[in-house]
Amino acid sequence: MSPDRLSSTFAALADPTRRAILARLASGETSVTDLAKPFDISLPAVSRHLKVLEGAGLIARGRDAQWRPCRLQATPLKSVADWVERYRRFWEESFDRLDDYLKELQRKEKKHGRKKA
Amino acid sequence: MAKNTNASSKDINDEPFVLTRSFDAPRDLLWKVWTQSEHLGKWFSPKGFKILAARMDFRVGGIYHYGLETPDGKPMWGKWEFREIAAPERIVLIQSFSDENGGLARHPMAPDWPQFMLSTMTFAAQGNKTKFTLTWTPHKATEVERRTFDAGRASMEMGWGGTMEQLIAYLAKLQS
Repeated sequence: MSPDRLSSTFAALADPTRRAILARLASGETSVTDLAKPFDISLPAVSRHLKVLEGAGLIARGRDAQWRPCRLQATPLKSVADWVERYRRFWEESFDRLDDYLKELQRKEKKHGRKKA
Repeated sequence: MAKNTNASSKDINDEPFVLTRSFDAPRDLLWKVWTQSEHLGKWFSPKGFKILAARMDFRVGGIYHYGLETPDGKPMWGKWEFREIAAPERIVLIQSFSDENGGLARHPMAPDWPQFMLSTMTFAAQGNKTKFTLTWTPHKATEVERRTFDAGRASMEMGWGGTMEQLIAYLAKLQS
């Protein structure tokens, strides 16, 4: 994924309402009216959020003019998840190594201590 | 500095990102392995990374400049500028991406990621164990950077809470 694409995904995700919409869509296709229900915002405002999500490729909309259900699109979300996962892994794996290293240091210290005694 | 008059920036959540871990070692030892270059080099980076360089000047105003090579051969340079040192309890530093010469750089994959991150590390003694906490917040960040960080933090939390995995599993099923 190109940096530009990742940035546009990030920009789309940088809004709590849009993230809530995505979480809602995880349980299946939903119409705009149903999507708007739990949010304290107008239908046009929901439509604007959906446009941003659609532009970032995070959702797709049905063609039917009356019933244009929204559906989650996996690829960009997966890219962000991978990016975030790499970040998390960097620290988690470093900390695992630190755990081992601390054990090694403390073993050495003990040995050293016994020799002196 | 220009006043931020943009009302739309109110919805940005500036909560920090927090990482905690308990280590089975006394606090003084943990402090040592975080603050001395020869120790840091032994653990700071996952397996498979190569250390290209590491220069430590551990004092307020001093810099730790490091270079790592990822397993797929990409260089990764970073810089910590120490702002506050309270041994053995607390370190405050400004973290940024860097280059070989110690200059500033952007995140290669996410150019809107904050240029500077304020990182606070605290070491809390709990008997022979130490609770370590790492807190990140964007530092001197533009609105775009703050939004990007907010999105990243939210996805990290989603990811760490397992929500992201659920989403991905669901999406995979949907597409098969």
